[in-house]
Amino acid sequence: MCIIALMTHFIRLIYLGKPKDYSRKSGNVTKAVAYSATVAMIDHKESAYLHIPTYFAGMIYHIGTFVSFLLLLFFFINMILQITLPQWVVWVLIAGLSLSALCGFSLLIKRAVNKPMRSLSNADDFISNLLVSLFQLASVAYLLCSCKELSYYLSATILLLYMPVGKLKHLVYFFAARYHLGFFYGWRNVWPPKKPLQ
Amino acid sequence: MKKLTKEQIDKALKILRMPEDSKLVTHLNACVHCGLCATSCVYFLTMKEDKYVPARKVELVASLYRRYCTLTGKIIPKLVNARELDEKMAEEMIDLLYGACTICGRCVKHCSIGVDIAYVVKVGRQMLAAMDLVPPSLQSTVDAALNTGNNMGITTEEFTDTIQWMEEELIDEMQDENARIPLDEKNKNILYTLNPREPKFFPLSISAMAKIFYAAKESWTLSTSMYDVTNYGYYSGKNEHAAIIAKKLYDEVKKLNTNTLVLGECGHGSRSTRWEGPNYLSTEYDFTTLTVVEIINDYIRSSRIKLDKTIINEKVTIHDPCNLVRNGGLLNEIRFAVKSAVADVVEMDPYGNDNFCCGGGGGQLAMSEYNERRLNIGAIKAEQIRKTKATIVVTPCHNCIDQLTQLNHHYKLNIKIKSIAEIVADALVVEN
Repeated sequence: MCIIALMTHFIRLIYLGKPKDYSRKSGNVTKAVAYSATVAMIDHKESAYLHIPTYFAGMIYHIGTFVSFLLLLFFFINMILQITLPQWVVWVLIAGLSLSALCGFSLLIKRAVNKPMRSLSNADDFISNLLVSLFQLASVAYLLCSCKELSYYLSATILLLYMPVGKLKHLVYFFAARYHLGFFYGWRNVWPPKKPLQ
Repeated sequence: MKKLTKEQIDKALKILRMPEDSKLVTHLNACVHCGLCATSCVYFLTMKEDKYVPARKVELVASLYRRYCTLTGKIIPKLVNARELDEKMAEEMIDLLYGACTICGRCVKHCSIGVDIAYVVKVGRQMLAAMDLVPPSLQSTVDAALNTGNNMGITTEEFTDTIQWMEEELIDEMQDENARIPLDEKNKNILYTLNPREPKFFPLSISAMAKIFYAAKESWTLSTSMYDVTNYGYYSGKNEHAAIIAKKLYDEVKKLNTNTLVLGECGHGSRSTRWEGPNYLSTEYDFTTLTVVEIINDYIRSSRIKLDKTIINEKVTIHDPCNLVRNGGLLNEIRFAVKSAVADVVEMDPYGNDNFCCGGGGGQLAMSEYNERRLNIGAIKAEQIRKTKATIVVTPCHNCIDQLTQLNHHYKLNIKIKSIAEIVADALVVEN
């Protein structure tokens, strides 16, 4: 259901298409989109260097989220393959996902405590953050003990069902936003950025 | 505010319900409310109020999108903060989308996701414009352009008198009876446009550019009926009006049969003509559109004009107009022109694509109801300038020049503010 719903969002974006620009192009859109999706995420970006703890917590949290989903996929496939993960891999995953869940809960606390952020937030922001962090925590618990299987799959199910409802669908829109931004700046020859003339 | 009619609401929501492409849907769904954009915005940095966080402005439009265009927003609006479009909402939108955003796009570049916040603000303005809720001061500027051909309502007689006066000055300075400021001449290489502030308040910037054209032996003309490069329809959000203004300029290029339209020193004017104009008209222009900065640089690079860097002995800094640099790609073009004319150039901190808005963009200078805010947010620019210890600030935008002039007075900066044409003309070596 989750995949179908997210795919619907994605297909709608494709169907709507990119903006038709009648102005005369000045730069290289392909290079700008590539820059937008990669280096621009850290290059001279205030949301990164002015907010180092939040930025790194966010990065770890998102990496942890992707790893958790990959792990879920592995567990599904492993029902057929029956592979046993090496112990060191299990411990790396436990350490990484514990840190990631900790970052998730820290961001949740920040959202509740920080006044400008709280005033910007709605129920969906808190629920989304909580569900993802709990899913990561449940992944850690399941890796530690197979007896936590029920709570693990329950947390995964709730998260997957909720995903298309709220802001977690930015999984799809994030990449589209980076594309549009690259297109906009690339068309006007702003990105990739030039070295300032000395 | 009067109660919104169903017709007004329907017109506004049509913009959200019938997106032309994936851009709007993307940006309305992408914001994760991290709030990190706050520290990139001149409004939040100077006034420290939560309502000025750029994401809050996106949220106004996105909450309407969720309420009327998504299943979750229709069924459980409270969960996702899906709001009704009512009078309270419209008032909030007017205050924040018109009165608290210069559409400078600084937050866009620094957004952790890549949400085009300025674009969403513009969509919000389009919705308000569809409900006829454009602030009256801004609308009157648009109306002046629609009715008279320029946003200051300058009569043709007044304009012609000013140009003739400038032509006499040019003849005196060049000591050449043949030095001219041509009007309405057909088949010239260039149709040059102005910000109406120039004939009204800063005529010397016209004579500065005329001096450069004279030195470059350029074939050019001004139009008496359509010389206005600005397009406040871009800021009001009424695209129909923006299209009428863009069409007037397009038609003038055709009427005078010129092959290059040179955009006078105006950030939003350049943007709305070069980048937005063809889209307003759904037409690819078959003539070249260049900014003043680019044409001057062309003259310098091809040695059509000569500059002497030793003439200007003061420290000069550059203010980057948001529409020309961060949103127009002219970062190094501006620097090339200024550094060709001046020896001692010092950069602001930050500068270029990261430079702060002066506070005059987004139509703020036309909306007198927000004057106090506009001068407050200018504190950042004033401090940037003060730190450079420069005595001259150069910027290729008359909107910025107007705001910087007011900041100069308000914050007692004791600086001179010049356009690119003026600084280049000051360093120009004319060989007769």
